[in-house]
Amino acid sequence: MKRLIRLNVNDKIYEIAVEPNRTLADVIREEIGLTGTKKGCEVGECGTCTVILDGKTVNSCLVLAVQADGKTILTIEGLETDQGLHPIQQSFVEKGAVQCGFCTSGMILSAKSLLDQNPDADEKEIRSAISGNLCRCTGYQKIVEAIASVKDRGPIS
Amino acid sequence: MLLPHFEFHEPTTVSEACEIMGRLREKARPIAGGTDLIVNMKKNLIRPDHVVSLAKIDDLKGIVRENGLLEIGACVTAAEIAGSDAVEKKFAALAQGARVLGSPLIRNLATISGNVVSARPAADLPPPLMAYGARAVLMKTSGERSVDLNDFFKAPGKTVMDPDEILTRIVIEAPQGHYGDSYVKLGLRQTFEISLVNVAAFISLDGSDGPISKARVILGSVGPTPIRSQSAEDVLGGQMPSEPLFARAGEAAAGDAQPIDDFRGSAEYRRDMVAVLTRRALNMALKRAGSR
Ligand SMILES: Cc1cc2nc3c(=O)[nH]c(=O)nc-3n(C[C@H](O)[C@H](O)[C@H](O)COP(=O)(O)OP(=O)(O)OC[C@H]3O[C@@H](n4cnc5c(N)ncnc54)[C@H](O)[C@@H]3O)c2cc1C
Repeated sequence: MKRLIRLNVNDKIYEIAVEPNRTLADVIREEIGLTGTKKGCEVGECGTCTVILDGKTVNSCLVLAVQADGKTILTIEGLETDQGLHPIQQSFVEKGAVQCGFCTSGMILSAKSLLDQNPDADEKEIRSAISGNLCRCTGYQKIVEAIASVKDRGPIS
Repeated sequence: MLLPHFEFHEPTTVSEACEIMGRLREKARPIAGGTDLIVNMKKNLIRPDHVVSLAKIDDLKGIVRENGLLEIGACVTAAEIAGSDAVEKKFAALAQGARVLGSPLIRNLATISGNVVSARPAADLPPPLMAYGARAVLMKTSGERSVDLNDFFKAPGKTVMDPDEILTRIVIEAPQGHYGDSYVKLGLRQTFEISLVNVAAFISLDGSDGPISKARVILGSVGPTPIRSQSAEDVLGGQMPSEPLFARAGEAAAGDAQPIDDFRGSAEYRRDMVAVLTRRALNMALKRAGSR
Protein backbone atom coordinates (compact mmCIF):
# COMPACT_ATOMS: atom_id res chain seq x y z
CA MET A 1 0.00 0.00 0.00
CA LYS A 2 1.27 3.46 -0.89
CA ARG A 3 2.18 5.87 1.86
CA LEU A 4 2.18 9.62 1.79
CA ILE A 5 5.59 11.02 2.67
CA ARG A 6 6.91 14.53 2.97
CA LEU A 7 10.45 15.35 1.91
CA ASN A 8 12.31 18.62 2.04
CA VAL A 9 14.58 18.41 -0.98
CA ASN A 10 16.89 21.35 -1.65
CA ASP A 11 14.60 23.61 0.42
CA LYS A 12 11.47 22.62 -1.45
CA ILE A 13 8.72 20.52 0.11
CA TYR A 14 7.45 17.49 -1.80
CA GLU A 15 4.47 15.38 -0.74
CA ILE A 16 4.56 12.09 -2.56
CA ALA A 17 2.68 8.80 -2.35
CA VAL A 18 5.22 5.97 -2.52
CA GLU A 19 5.28 2.19 -2.28
CA PRO A 20 7.39 1.06 0.72
CA ASN A 21 9.77 -0.81 -1.58
CA ARG A 22 10.95 2.34 -3.40
CA THR A 23 14.36 3.61 -2.43
CA LEU A 24 15.13 7.25 -1.80
CA ALA A 25 17.36 7.21 -4.90
CA ASP A 26 14.43 6.07 -7.06
CA VAL A 27 12.05 8.65 -5.65
CA ILE A 28 14.51 11.52 -6.07
CA ARG A 29 15.17 10.54 -9.68
CA GLU A 30 11.80 9.33 -10.87
CA GLU A 31 9.17 11.15 -8.79
CA ILE A 32 10.95 14.41 -8.07
CA GLY A 33 12.86 14.37 -11.34
CA LEU A 34 16.27 15.35 -10.01
CA THR A 35 18.56 13.10 -12.01
CA GLY A 36 21.84 14.50 -10.72
CA THR A 37 21.68 11.71 -8.15
CA LYS A 38 22.97 8.69 -10.08
CA LYS A 39 22.41 4.99 -9.65
CA GLY A 40 25.43 2.75 -10.20
CA CYS A 41 25.93 -0.44 -8.23
CA GLU A 42 22.71 -0.02 -6.18
CA VAL A 43 24.22 -1.89 -3.23
CA GLY A 44 26.14 0.85 -1.43
CA GLU A 45 29.54 0.31 -2.98
CA CYS A 46 29.96 3.02 -5.62
CA GLY A 47 28.58 6.16 -3.97
CA THR A 48 27.07 7.68 -7.12
CA CYS A 49 23.71 7.95 -5.31
CA THR A 50 25.17 9.99 -2.42
CA VAL A 51 22.83 12.60 -0.92
CA ILE A 52 23.03 14.57 2.31
CA LEU A 53 20.21 13.38 4.56
CA ASP A 54 19.61 15.49 7.70
CA GLY A 55 23.19 16.70 7.44
CA LYS A 56 24.82 13.31 6.82
CA THR A 57 26.02 11.77 3.58
CA VAL A 58 24.36 8.45 2.81
CA ASN A 59 23.92 6.02 -0.08
CA SER A 60 20.35 6.86 -1.12
CA CYS A 61 20.07 3.42 -2.79
CA LEU A 62 20.11 1.88 0.70
CA VAL A 63 17.46 4.13 2.24
CA LEU A 64 13.78 3.39 1.82
CA ALA A 65 11.91 6.51 0.76
CA VAL A 66 9.39 5.88 3.55
CA GLN A 67 12.27 6.05 6.03
CA ALA A 68 13.16 9.52 4.80
CA ASP A 69 9.68 10.85 5.62
CA GLY A 70 9.95 14.25 7.32
CA LYS A 71 13.66 14.58 6.60
CA THR A 72 15.75 17.19 4.85
CA ILE A 73 17.71 16.18 1.78
CA LEU A 74 20.37 17.99 -0.19
CA THR A 75 21.15 16.74 -3.70
CA ILE A 76 23.71 18.04 -6.14
CA GLU A 77 21.05 20.30 -7.69
CA GLY A 78 20.78 22.12 -4.35
CA LEU A 79 24.36 23.39 -4.40
CA GLU A 80 24.23 25.87 -7.23
CA THR A 81 22.82 29.28 -6.29
CA ASP A 82 21.80 32.44 -8.17
CA GLN A 83 25.42 33.49 -7.83
CA GLY A 84 26.46 30.46 -9.84
CA LEU A 85 28.20 27.20 -9.14
CA HIS A 86 29.14 26.27 -5.60
CA PRO A 87 32.90 26.78 -4.99
CA ILE A 88 33.43 23.00 -4.89
CA GLN A 89 31.64 22.58 -8.23
CA GLN A 90 33.68 25.45 -9.67
CA SER A 91 36.89 23.90 -8.43
CA PHE A 92 36.03 20.50 -9.97
CA VAL A 93 35.52 22.20 -13.33
CA GLU A 94 38.71 24.25 -13.12
CA LYS A 95 40.93 21.38 -11.99
CA GLY A 96 39.64 18.91 -14.57
CA ALA A 97 38.21 16.69 -11.85
CA VAL A 98 35.18 15.91 -14.01
CA GLN A 99 35.50 13.38 -16.79
CA CYS A 100 32.50 11.20 -17.56
CA GLY A 101 30.72 12.93 -14.68
CA PHE A 102 28.95 9.90 -13.27
CA CYS A 103 30.66 9.96 -9.87
CA THR A 104 30.83 13.76 -9.70
CA SER A 105 27.59 14.48 -7.83
CA GLY A 106 28.46 12.04 -5.08
CA MET A 107 32.08 13.16 -4.90
CA ILE A 108 31.08 16.79 -4.53
CA LEU A 109 28.51 16.05 -1.82
CA SER A 110 31.03 13.95 0.14
CA ALA A 111 33.53 16.80 -0.26
CA LYS A 112 30.97 19.35 0.91
CA SER A 113 30.16 17.32 3.99
CA LEU A 114 33.88 17.10 4.82
CA LEU A 115 34.66 20.79 4.25
CA ASP A 116 31.59 21.92 6.20
CA GLN A 117 32.94 20.07 9.24
CA ASN A 118 36.63 20.55 8.58
CA PRO A 119 37.55 23.41 6.22
CA ASP A 120 41.26 22.70 6.80
CA ALA A 121 41.11 19.02 5.85
CA ASP A 122 44.44 17.64 4.67
CA GLU A 123 45.00 15.25 1.80
CA LYS A 124 44.63 12.15 3.97
CA GLU A 125 41.32 13.40 5.36
CA ILE A 126 40.11 14.24 1.86
CA ARG A 127 40.99 10.77 0.56
CA SER A 128 39.24 9.19 3.51
CA ALA A 129 36.11 11.36 3.09
CA ILE A 130 35.65 10.31 -0.55
CA SER A 131 36.56 6.69 0.07
CA GLY A 132 32.93 5.64 -0.39
CA ASN A 133 32.78 7.22 -3.86
CA LEU A 134 34.30 5.30 -6.75
CA CYS A 135 35.63 6.96 -9.92
CA ARG A 136 36.63 5.00 -13.01
CA CYS A 137 38.16 7.83 -15.06
CA THR A 138 40.35 10.22 -13.15
CA GLY A 139 42.53 8.16 -10.87
CA TYR A 140 41.31 10.43 -8.03
CA GLN A 141 44.33 12.75 -8.14
CA LYS A 142 42.51 15.65 -9.79
CA ILE A 143 39.50 15.16 -7.57
CA VAL A 144 41.68 15.34 -4.48
CA GLU A 145 43.45 18.43 -5.86
CA ALA A 146 40.12 20.07 -6.64
CA ILE A 147 38.85 19.52 -3.09
CA ALA A 148 42.16 20.60 -1.54
CA SER A 149 42.18 23.83 -3.52
CA VAL A 150 38.67 24.78 -2.39
CA LYS A 151 39.78 25.13 1.16
CA ASP A 152 42.27 27.83 0.20
CA ARG A 153 39.36 30.04 -0.76
CA GLY A 154 38.21 30.47 2.80
CA PRO A 155 34.94 29.35 4.33
CA ILE A 156 32.27 28.01 2.03
CA SER A 157 28.68 29.14 2.12
CA MET B 1 17.53 -3.46 -8.91
CA LEU B 2 14.02 -3.77 -7.60
CA LEU B 3 13.06 -4.50 -4.06
CA PRO B 4 10.34 -7.12 -3.63
CA HIS B 5 7.05 -5.84 -2.24
CA PHE B 6 6.53 -5.77 1.49
CA GLU B 7 4.38 -4.09 4.09
CA PHE B 8 6.10 -1.39 6.11
CA HIS B 9 5.60 -0.87 9.84
CA GLU B 10 6.89 2.02 11.85
CA PRO B 11 6.37 1.46 15.57
CA THR B 12 7.36 4.25 17.96
CA THR B 13 7.87 2.14 21.09
CA VAL B 14 9.77 -1.07 21.81
CA SER B 15 6.64 -2.80 23.08
CA GLU B 16 4.77 -1.94 19.90
CA ALA B 17 7.67 -3.33 17.85
CA CYS B 18 7.70 -6.51 19.95
CA GLU B 19 3.96 -6.90 19.50
CA ILE B 20 4.33 -6.70 15.70
CA MET B 21 7.28 -9.13 15.66
CA GLY B 22 5.43 -11.49 18.00
CA ARG B 23 2.46 -11.56 15.63
CA LEU B 24 4.37 -11.86 12.34
CA ARG B 25 7.52 -13.75 13.45
CA GLU B 26 9.40 -15.24 10.42
CA LYS B 27 7.31 -13.17 8.00
CA ALA B 28 8.83 -9.95 9.31
CA ARG B 29 12.31 -8.49 9.56
CA PRO B 30 13.35 -5.47 11.58
CA ILE B 31 15.26 -2.78 9.70
CA ALA B 32 17.76 -0.54 11.49
CA GLY B 33 20.21 1.08 9.05
CA GLY B 34 19.21 -1.18 6.16
CA THR B 35 22.73 -1.59 4.77
CA ASP B 36 22.54 -5.37 5.07
CA LEU B 37 18.83 -5.94 4.80
CA ILE B 38 18.22 -3.83 1.69
CA VAL B 39 21.23 -5.31 -0.11
CA ASN B 40 20.06 -8.85 0.70
CA MET B 41 16.52 -8.03 -0.40
CA LYS B 42 17.76 -6.51 -3.66
CA LYS B 43 19.81 -9.64 -4.28
CA ASN B 44 16.70 -11.70 -3.53
CA LEU B 45 18.42 -13.55 -0.69
CA ILE B 46 15.60 -12.71 1.70
CA ARG B 47 11.99 -11.77 0.99
CA PRO B 48 10.21 -10.70 4.15
CA ASP B 49 6.51 -9.88 3.70
CA HIS B 50 6.83 -7.23 6.38
CA VAL B 51 9.62 -4.81 7.26
CA VAL B 52 9.54 -3.27 10.73
CA SER B 53 11.49 -0.03 11.03
CA LEU B 54 13.19 0.63 14.36
CA ALA B 55 14.25 4.16 13.44
CA LYS B 56 11.37 6.00 15.12
CA ILE B 57 11.85 4.35 18.53
CA ASP B 58 13.58 6.90 20.76
CA ASP B 59 14.48 4.30 23.40
CA LEU B 60 16.81 2.61 20.89
CA LYS B 61 18.94 5.73 20.39
CA GLY B 62 21.87 7.20 22.21
CA ILE B 63 25.02 6.18 24.05
CA VAL B 64 24.76 6.38 27.84
CA ARG B 65 27.55 6.00 30.41
CA GLU B 66 26.47 5.63 34.00
CA ASN B 67 26.95 3.38 37.02
CA GLY B 68 30.02 1.85 35.45
CA LEU B 69 28.13 0.71 32.37
CA LEU B 70 28.24 1.81 28.76
CA GLU B 71 24.88 1.30 27.06
CA ILE B 72 24.65 1.65 23.30
CA GLY B 73 21.15 1.75 21.81
CA ALA B 74 20.33 -0.57 18.92
CA CYS B 75 19.99 2.27 16.42
CA VAL B 76 23.31 3.97 17.23
CA THR B 77 25.34 4.19 14.02
CA ALA B 78 28.98 3.31 13.43
CA ALA B 79 29.63 7.02 12.78
CA GLU B 80 28.15 7.93 16.17
CA ILE B 81 30.27 5.29 17.91
CA ALA B 82 33.40 6.47 16.07
CA GLY B 83 32.69 10.07 17.10
CA SER B 84 31.77 9.42 20.73
CA ASP B 85 34.17 10.69 23.41
CA ALA B 86 32.74 8.25 25.94
CA VAL B 87 33.64 5.36 23.62
CA GLU B 88 37.01 6.74 22.54
CA LYS B 89 38.28 7.29 26.09
CA LYS B 90 37.41 3.96 27.68
CA PHE B 91 36.62 1.65 24.77
CA ALA B 92 39.24 2.49 22.18
CA ALA B 93 39.03 -0.92 20.46
CA LEU B 94 35.33 -0.40 19.76
CA ALA B 95 36.01 3.09 18.39
CA GLN B 96 38.68 1.55 16.14
CA GLY B 97 36.23 -1.05 14.86
CA ALA B 98 33.60 1.59 14.14
CA ARG B 99 36.09 3.79 12.27
CA VAL B 100 37.00 1.06 9.78
CA LEU B 101 33.49 -0.21 9.07
CA GLY B 102 32.55 0.26 5.40
CA SER B 103 32.87 3.81 4.10
CA PRO B 104 31.84 7.18 5.53
CA LEU B 105 28.51 6.81 3.69
CA ILE B 106 27.91 3.33 5.12
CA ARG B 107 28.97 4.38 8.63
CA ASN B 108 26.27 7.07 8.65
CA LEU B 109 23.61 4.36 8.16
CA ALA B 110 25.02 1.13 9.62
CA THR B 111 23.99 0.47 13.22
CA ILE B 112 25.49 -1.57 16.02
CA SER B 113 22.46 -3.86 16.24
CA GLY B 114 22.48 -4.57 12.50
CA ASN B 115 26.20 -5.32 12.64
CA VAL B 116 25.71 -7.76 15.52
CA VAL B 117 22.46 -9.41 14.38
CA SER B 118 23.59 -9.95 10.78
CA ALA B 119 26.35 -12.19 12.25
CA ARG B 120 28.81 -11.84 9.40
CA PRO B 121 32.05 -13.63 10.21
CA ALA B 122 34.07 -10.56 9.18
CA ALA B 123 31.95 -7.91 10.92
CA ASP B 124 33.98 -5.19 12.62
CA LEU B 125 32.07 -4.54 15.84
CA PRO B 126 31.61 -8.01 17.38
CA PRO B 127 35.32 -8.75 18.09
CA PRO B 128 35.95 -5.61 20.14
CA LEU B 129 32.58 -5.99 21.87
CA MET B 130 33.38 -9.61 22.76
CA ALA B 131 36.79 -8.57 24.05
CA TYR B 132 35.05 -6.41 26.68
CA GLY B 133 32.53 -9.16 27.50
CA ALA B 134 29.65 -7.06 26.14
CA ARG B 135 26.08 -8.33 26.41
CA ALA B 136 23.16 -8.00 24.02
CA VAL B 137 19.81 -7.16 25.57
CA LEU B 138 17.00 -8.96 23.72
CA MET B 139 13.32 -8.20 24.05
CA LYS B 140 10.07 -9.84 23.04
CA THR B 141 6.50 -9.66 24.31
CA SER B 142 7.13 -12.34 26.94
CA GLY B 143 10.10 -10.48 28.42
CA GLU B 144 13.72 -9.48 28.29
CA ARG B 145 16.97 -11.46 28.43
CA SER B 146 20.61 -10.55 28.21
CA VAL B 147 23.14 -12.70 26.35
CA ASP B 148 26.94 -12.52 26.50
CA LEU B 149 28.11 -11.88 22.93
CA ASN B 150 30.63 -14.68 23.44
CA ASP B 151 27.61 -17.05 23.40
CA PHE B 152 25.57 -15.15 20.81
CA PHE B 153 26.83 -16.26 17.37
CA LYS B 154 26.04 -19.73 15.98
CA ALA B 155 27.07 -19.67 12.30
CA PRO B 156 27.30 -17.13 9.47
CA GLY B 157 24.02 -15.20 9.66
CA LYS B 158 22.82 -17.28 12.63
CA THR B 159 22.51 -16.19 16.24
CA VAL B 160 20.73 -17.38 19.38
CA MET B 161 17.93 -14.85 18.77
CA ASP B 162 14.33 -15.95 18.34
CA PRO B 163 12.60 -14.66 15.19
CA ASP B 164 10.36 -12.39 17.26
CA GLU B 165 13.15 -10.93 19.38
CA ILE B 166 14.54 -7.41 19.06
CA LEU B 167 18.02 -6.42 20.15
CA THR B 168 17.41 -3.24 22.13
CA ARG B 169 20.90 -2.35 23.34
CA ILE B 170 24.45 -3.49 23.89
CA VAL B 171 25.75 -3.19 27.44
CA ILE B 172 29.43 -3.14 28.39
CA GLU B 173 30.72 -3.11 31.93
CA ALA B 174 33.40 -0.41 32.05
CA PRO B 175 36.72 -2.08 32.83
CA GLN B 176 38.59 -0.79 35.89
CA GLY B 177 42.24 -0.23 36.70
CA HIS B 178 45.16 -0.79 34.38
CA TYR B 179 43.62 -2.22 31.24
CA GLY B 180 44.35 -1.88 27.57
CA ASP B 181 42.35 -2.73 24.48
CA SER B 182 42.83 -2.67 20.73
CA TYR B 183 41.43 -3.80 17.40
CA VAL B 184 43.43 -4.53 14.26
CA LYS B 185 41.88 -5.19 10.85
CA LEU B 186 43.79 -6.52 7.88
CA GLY B 187 42.26 -6.02 4.46
CA LEU B 188 43.59 -5.76 0.94
CA ARG B 189 42.50 -2.14 0.68
CA GLN B 190 41.93 0.63 3.20
CA THR B 191 38.23 1.19 2.67
CA PHE B 192 35.34 -1.12 1.89
CA GLU B 193 37.23 -4.16 2.77
CA ILE B 194 35.95 -7.42 4.07
CA SER B 195 38.79 -8.21 6.41
CA LEU B 196 41.12 -11.11 5.77
CA VAL B 197 41.72 -11.29 9.48
CA ASN B 198 40.78 -9.08 12.39
CA VAL B 199 41.81 -9.33 16.00
CA ALA B 200 40.56 -7.62 19.15
CA ALA B 201 42.62 -7.82 22.34
CA PHE B 202 41.97 -6.85 25.94
CA ILE B 203 44.33 -7.19 28.87
CA SER B 204 44.19 -5.94 32.42
CA LEU B 205 47.24 -5.79 34.64
CA ASP B 206 47.65 -6.36 38.34
CA GLY B 207 49.04 -2.92 39.22
CA SER B 208 50.67 -0.63 36.69
CA ASP B 209 53.60 -2.96 35.97
CA GLY B 210 52.26 -6.22 37.31
CA PRO B 211 51.33 -9.48 35.62
CA ILE B 212 48.33 -9.93 33.36
CA SER B 213 45.29 -10.60 35.52
CA LYS B 214 42.84 -11.01 32.66
CA ALA B 215 43.20 -11.40 28.90
CA ARG B 216 40.77 -11.68 26.04
CA VAL B 217 41.69 -12.37 22.42
CA ILE B 218 38.96 -12.48 19.77
CA LEU B 219 39.63 -13.49 16.17
CA GLY B 220 37.37 -12.37 13.32
CA SER B 221 37.10 -13.54 9.69
CA VAL B 222 38.88 -16.81 10.41
CA GLY B 223 35.90 -18.97 11.30
CA PRO B 224 32.12 -19.17 10.82
CA THR B 225 31.72 -16.80 13.79
CA PRO B 226 34.17 -14.60 15.68
CA ILE B 227 36.31 -16.93 17.80
CA ARG B 228 37.44 -16.40 21.36
CA SER B 229 40.97 -17.76 21.48
CA GLN B 230 41.10 -19.73 24.71
CA SER B 231 44.64 -20.94 23.96
CA ALA B 232 45.99 -17.40 23.65
CA GLU B 233 44.24 -16.38 26.84
CA ASP B 234 45.76 -19.38 28.65
CA VAL B 235 49.23 -18.37 27.50
CA LEU B 236 48.75 -14.81 28.78
CA GLY B 237 46.98 -15.33 32.11
CA GLY B 238 49.13 -14.61 35.20
CA GLN B 239 52.26 -13.84 33.15
CA MET B 240 54.35 -10.67 32.95
CA PRO B 241 53.65 -8.94 29.63
CA SER B 242 56.57 -9.16 27.21
CA GLU B 243 57.31 -9.33 23.51
CA PRO B 244 58.13 -13.09 23.59
CA LEU B 245 54.96 -13.80 25.61
CA PHE B 246 52.85 -11.93 23.04
CA ALA B 247 54.55 -13.86 20.23
CA ARG B 248 53.66 -17.15 21.95
CA ALA B 249 50.07 -15.95 22.43
CA GLY B 250 49.99 -15.14 18.70
CA GLU B 251 51.10 -18.69 17.81
CA ALA B 252 48.47 -20.10 20.16
CA ALA B 253 45.78 -17.91 18.57
CA ALA B 254 46.82 -19.12 15.10
CA GLY B 255 46.16 -22.66 16.32
CA ASP B 256 42.59 -21.71 17.31
CA ALA B 257 41.77 -20.07 13.97
CA GLN B 258 39.72 -21.98 11.39
CA PRO B 259 40.46 -19.97 8.25
CA ILE B 260 39.29 -20.71 4.73
CA ASP B 261 41.08 -20.49 1.38
CA ASP B 262 39.61 -18.01 -1.07
CA PHE B 263 40.63 -15.48 -3.70
CA ARG B 264 41.50 -12.92 -1.02
CA GLY B 265 44.09 -15.12 0.62
CA SER B 266 45.03 -18.69 1.46
CA ALA B 267 44.15 -20.31 4.75
CA GLU B 268 47.86 -20.62 5.48
CA TYR B 269 48.41 -16.89 4.98
CA ARG B 270 45.44 -16.05 7.14
CA ARG B 271 46.69 -18.33 9.90
CA ASP B 272 50.12 -16.66 9.81
CA MET B 273 48.46 -13.26 9.94
CA VAL B 274 46.43 -14.25 13.01
CA ALA B 275 49.74 -14.73 14.82
CA VAL B 276 51.12 -11.39 13.60
CA LEU B 277 47.97 -9.36 14.28
CA THR B 278 47.45 -10.93 17.70
CA ARG B 279 50.98 -9.94 18.70
CA ARG B 280 50.41 -6.40 17.39
CA ALA B 281 47.02 -6.07 19.05
CA LEU B 282 48.48 -7.19 22.39
CA ASN B 283 51.36 -4.74 22.09
CA MET B 284 48.94 -1.91 21.39
CA ALA B 285 46.73 -2.98 24.29
CA LEU B 286 49.78 -3.03 26.60
CA LYS B 287 50.71 0.48 25.53
CA ARG B 288 47.22 1.69 26.37
CA ALA B 289 47.30 -0.14 29.71
CA GLY B 290 50.54 1.64 30.52
CA SER B 291 48.97 5.03 30.02
CA ARG B 292 46.02 4.32 32.33
C1 LIG C 1 29.13 -1.38 0.80
C2 LIG C 1 29.09 -2.02 2.15
C3 LIG C 1 30.25 -2.13 2.90
C4 LIG C 1 30.23 -2.74 4.16
N1 LIG C 1 31.39 -2.82 4.86
C5 LIG C 1 31.38 -3.39 6.10
C6 LIG C 1 32.57 -3.45 6.88
O1 LIG C 1 33.66 -3.02 6.47
N2 LIG C 1 32.51 -4.01 8.12
C7 LIG C 1 31.35 -4.51 8.62
O2 LIG C 1 31.34 -5.00 9.74
N3 LIG C 1 30.21 -4.47 7.90
C8 LIG C 1 30.20 -3.92 6.66
N4 LIG C 1 29.03 -3.88 5.93
C9 LIG C 1 27.82 -4.55 6.47
C10 LIG C 1 26.80 -3.65 7.17
O3 LIG C 1 26.91 -2.31 6.78
C11 LIG C 1 26.95 -3.72 8.68
O4 LIG C 1 26.83 -5.06 9.10
C12 LIG C 1 25.91 -2.86 9.43
O5 LIG C 1 26.39 -2.61 10.74
C13 LIG C 1 24.54 -3.44 9.50
O6 LIG C 1 23.73 -2.55 10.23
P1 LIG C 1 22.35 -1.99 9.67
O7 LIG C 1 21.78 -1.14 10.73
O8 LIG C 1 22.53 -1.39 8.34
O9 LIG C 1 21.57 -3.37 9.54
P2 LIG C 1 20.19 -3.71 8.82
O10 LIG C 1 20.45 -3.93 7.38
O11 LIG C 1 19.12 -2.78 9.20
O12 LIG C 1 19.92 -5.11 9.52
C14 LIG C 1 20.77 -6.24 9.37
C15 LIG C 1 20.06 -7.49 9.92
O13 LIG C 1 19.86 -7.38 11.31
C16 LIG C 1 18.48 -7.39 11.64
N5 LIG C 1 18.33 -6.37 12.68
C17 LIG C 1 18.81 -5.11 12.64
N6 LIG C 1 18.59 -4.48 13.81
C18 LIG C 1 17.96 -5.37 14.61
C19 LIG C 1 17.50 -5.32 15.95
N7 LIG C 1 17.66 -4.22 16.70
N8 LIG C 1 16.89 -6.41 16.47
C20 LIG C 1 16.73 -7.53 15.70
N9 LIG C 1 17.17 -7.64 14.43
C21 LIG C 1 17.78 -6.57 13.89
C22 LIG C 1 17.75 -7.09 10.37
O14 LIG C 1 16.47 -7.68 10.35
C23 LIG C 1 18.68 -7.71 9.34
O15 LIG C 1 18.44 -9.09 9.25
C24 LIG C 1 29.02 -3.27 4.67
C25 LIG C 1 27.85 -3.13 3.92
C26 LIG C 1 27.87 -2.52 2.68
C27 LIG C 1 26.59 -2.40 1.90
